[in-house]
Amino acid sequence: MPGSNGKLRDISRRTALGALGVGIVGATVASWPRLTGTDIPGRGDNSLSIAIMGTAADAAARQKVVDAFAKVHPEIKVKVQAIQAVDWKDFFTKILTMVAAGTPPDVVYVATEGAQLFAEKLAHPLDEYLRRDAEHMKEYFEDVHPSLVEAFMYKGSLFQLPIDWNAANMYYNTTALRQAGLERPADDWTHLDFRNTLAAMRKARPSDFTPYYWTNRLFGGVVPWLYANDTSFLKETKSGGGRWLWDSFYANDPTRGMRSGGYQWLEANATDPKVFESFDFLRGLVKDGLGVRPEEGGGNSLVGLFASNRIGTTPAGGYWVQGLSEAGMKQDDYDVQFFPKWRTQRHQFGTAGYAIMKTAKDKDAAWEWVKFSSSLEAMQIVFPTPNTTPARRSMVNEQLYAGKGPRHWKVFYDTLDRFPSTGPIPAPPQQAAVETALMKNVSLAVSGDERQLKSALESLQRDLEFALRRQP
Amino acid sequence: MSTASETRVRNKALRGNSTSGAGKPGRSGRERQPWLPWVFLAPTIVGMGIFTLLPIIASVALAFFRWDIISAPSFVGFDNFAEVVQDPTVRMSFLNTILFVVVAVALQLGLALGLAIMVQEKLPAWLRVFFRSAFFFPLILSAASVSIFMRYLFNEQFGVVNWLLSLVGIPAVPWLTTPGGSAAVVILVYVWQNFGFSFLLFIGGLASIPVETYEAASLDGATGWRKHVHVTLPLLSPTTLVASVMAIINALQVFDQPFVLTRGGPGDSTRTAVMVIFESAFQRLEFGQASAIGVILTLIIMAITAAQFRLSKRFVFYQ
Amino acid sequence: MTTTIKRTAAERVVVHRRKFDWSVAGRIVLLSLAAVLVLGPVLWTLSTSLRPPAESFQLPPSFLPLNPDFVSYGQVFKQLNIVGLVLNSALVTGLIAVGQMITAALAGYAFANLRFRGRNALFSIVLATMMVPAQVTIVPVFMLIRGVGLSDTLMALILPAIPTAFGTFLMRQYFLGLPADLAEAAAIDGASPWRTFRSVYAPLAMPGLSIVGILAFNFHWNEFFRPLIMTISEENFTLPLGLVSLQGNLGTGSISVVLAGVVLSMIPALVVFMFGQRALRDGLTAGTGK
Repeated sequence: MPGSNGKLRDISRRTALGALGVGIVGATVASWPRLTGTDIPGRGDNSLSIAIMGTAADAAARQKVVDAFAKVHPEIKVKVQAIQAVDWKDFFTKILTMVAAGTPPDVVYVATEGAQLFAEKLAHPLDEYLRRDAEHMKEYFEDVHPSLVEAFMYKGSLFQLPIDWNAANMYYNTTALRQAGLERPADDWTHLDFRNTLAAMRKARPSDFTPYYWTNRLFGGVVPWLYANDTSFLKETKSGGGRWLWDSFYANDPTRGMRSGGYQWLEANATDPKVFESFDFLRGLVKDGLGVRPEEGGGNSLVGLFASNRIGTTPAGGYWVQGLSEAGMKQDDYDVQFFPKWRTQRHQFGTAGYAIMKTAKDKDAAWEWVKFSSSLEAMQIVFPTPNTTPARRSMVNEQLYAGKGPRHWKVFYDTLDRFPSTGPIPAPPQQAAVETALMKNVSLAVSGDERQLKSALESLQRDLEFALRRQP
Repeated sequence: MSTASETRVRNKALRGNSTSGAGKPGRSGRERQPWLPWVFLAPTIVGMGIFTLLPIIASVALAFFRWDIISAPSFVGFDNFAEVVQDPTVRMSFLNTILFVVVAVALQLGLALGLAIMVQEKLPAWLRVFFRSAFFFPLILSAASVSIFMRYLFNEQFGVVNWLLSLVGIPAVPWLTTPGGSAAVVILVYVWQNFGFSFLLFIGGLASIPVETYEAASLDGATGWRKHVHVTLPLLSPTTLVASVMAIINALQVFDQPFVLTRGGPGDSTRTAVMVIFESAFQRLEFGQASAIGVILTLIIMAITAAQFRLSKRFVFYQ
Repeated sequence: MTTTIKRTAAERVVVHRRKFDWSVAGRIVLLSLAAVLVLGPVLWTLSTSLRPPAESFQLPPSFLPLNPDFVSYGQVFKQLNIVGLVLNSALVTGLIAVGQMITAALAGYAFANLRFRGRNALFSIVLATMMVPAQVTIVPVFMLIRGVGLSDTLMALILPAIPTAFGTFLMRQYFLGLPADLAEAAAIDGASPWRTFRSVYAPLAMPGLSIVGILAFNFHWNEFFRPLIMTISEENFTLPLGLVSLQGNLGTGSISVVLAGVVLSMIPALVVFMFGQRALRDGLTAGTGK
């Protein structure tokens, strides 16, 4: 309340308020371009927009590719838009939001998780362009394993060219292995050998240590154990078609006969006895203190845990090398081996590449981008460090892993050559619902008794049936 | 700090309003310039009309359609509602939400009230300021970042919480990987962050209780907690009403904590109603179903709030 | 002053002095325990963010940042355009806060001091909108924003947040708490209702308005869900969205870097809190204490 000098205070307050008001209005006007987004370069013009998952830093890293592309195609203007997301599901949500907002990108970097969702609803097949530029593309396909390509086939058409990929191999801490008195496991170690390894590690380090750390997600969670046991939580079939591609680009490949028009996951398979067997194996690891109960959506601190020597083994792919190196792990501190064998030694992998959107204004220009990105030149610019595995075999070499390890980096690409039936992350067009159904039942399945496991698998079966019934 | 006499003036004003209507200038204004109130209200009313009411109506309408944003919507009548009420996940999420609200709000209000009473009684001034600031502090953090660091603290193998428990001989608790543990963490983290707001409201309420009331009570021989039961609680009941209504409305919409901490798992054990709305809308593109769930949730929230106000007529004590 | 009266009164309440001292000591112990539980996790976050990544899971944990290591903070700046994020957050929260203060003052005054047909019904509707979760209305709001061509802009975050039910409620309570005879006096002086509001009531309501502003700032500074849906280009991201991306994909994030980001994002809110705490406490006393 104004005191004795109320009048004076009143005046000065009014001046202050007035100044504040002017300031706010001024600031608003000055920042108007920021508020309406008109200051973002390339916004609203007709340049080819490329959406990738990542941060500003990732977009800046791609700028060199954009520059290189501009030398080849000065007539095509390109703008790379990095979209931040926690995981792929989140990224696809963002892309769908852009579609809903009426501003879809022309080209999107899509991983296996979303390949069929995009193929079914959003993407334009590459077939016509591949036929047209077959001569030029020969060199690419010769350098890329057909398993990766097959993951992007959908109902006989190819929708993406694999750029990078990762299989779920087994990382191990060499110190922990040595302390357990063990040698590097054999290439064809079995799930029982694996269990014994964990038990020996546990014996050597009873506390503040986890022999097997794993997370609950579609890649590297329970699925590799299902694949190794010759099963999966969804019935896997393959569609016909696609011969045109295999005949023209993989005519000399020994696995040509088994290649198809793409994977199909149409039915739930959670009640398969072999699925039970795999889950029961993991349940045993948890029960005996050899493996952790997996956290949902966890694993963000995995590199830190592994690098601080608290983890014996964990499934991961080549994308880990750079992170471990940055976290201070030396080449000899850890190594990688194939995933253990059970009924088969089939591995699980995920891959990613550019998809052209149906709504793209200039699809020919978009194809030029896709084609250029698959070239050796472009891929060498994009992957200077081992933070993922390049799809081109020729790039997975000594030079990429020099000084960072692991010793047996050859395991990464050998996975595809040694086990040609190695398959992609099971991701039908209803991937989001399927993933949710799996995630939410895994923890319960492996952290109780046999009855709880049975009921969790039944509930998984029910949830999957429900998810697959949905419109994709 | 407000004084007793000021408080009484304020109370008089409040009561005056509720019975005989507001100040007189308004009435004269009404005669001369009947449009005037609407000038004052325009920004809020127009804004809410566009950004809240219209969307609510659209959302209700959307509940009768199947729509995935990409293709055109198609009318499906009550199908969405039928599917939603049969979906075990949706039912579980509503059950979770109710349980969460009951436990979290009870904890939040109990803690806030207890601490507020303790802070308001005789205490060195600097300590009072310190405790007040400390208890309010978590409110300024974002729920997302709180959940991020709490995840690390509650890690089963390497988290600080289990390490502390191990010091007193309690074996590692599987916090984030069992249904019970996850629910406990979500509730603890939520209450940790939000009790400060209720605490602040209670501090305000306590400050406005006239000192004479306590004097009278102590003359009657009431001491310690009996004093609080017989004097503080009844006199604080209007504050308690406001605090509980706000706490319940907030808790019914809990999203950030379970979303970052547990993603709703394991199983559906920490999936809340608004999470299910988010998932069906933005992860599965079933906007019709999401709207149907939203309509049901909104109706439930409204029913609960209405019930609270009805109950309050009986239990809230106005001076 | 009144506080002294109050203290002596409070002392008189308790008759037995010795018992009283015990209870003070007991209370301090209990309150301190509560304060440790509240502040402990924050201290751990701060100290872990100041340790190199390899030591982030060190047990026993350290709660005090001895030997600080700022590597992780450098990483945050390298990975994120922190300046841009802060600028966006400040613009968005600042404009929302000011907008809410203006609209809530006007509407709160009308509901408290002006009479018009349908006032109670309208006020109930305003209050009822508080009960509708943001998740219910976000899709139509999104389409609306698209319709006016503001998709993926900061305006898409600001405009829908300006009308405020809670702020209107607070301001109505605040105006009701001000003596009614002020308006009578102003009316006798021949002031118009608008002048009465602007020159008499609005200045008196400043404490209440600052609460609306602070709460709006606090809420929208930390807001996660709406920006998650409404913004796509990272040029338009606000701070909480940027932070989440530090977590990295497939376990490649570093806990120290994430926590460094968390600590950085606390600072602006902390400043507002330090300046606004008193206003907030006093204001809430007047606003909803009754």
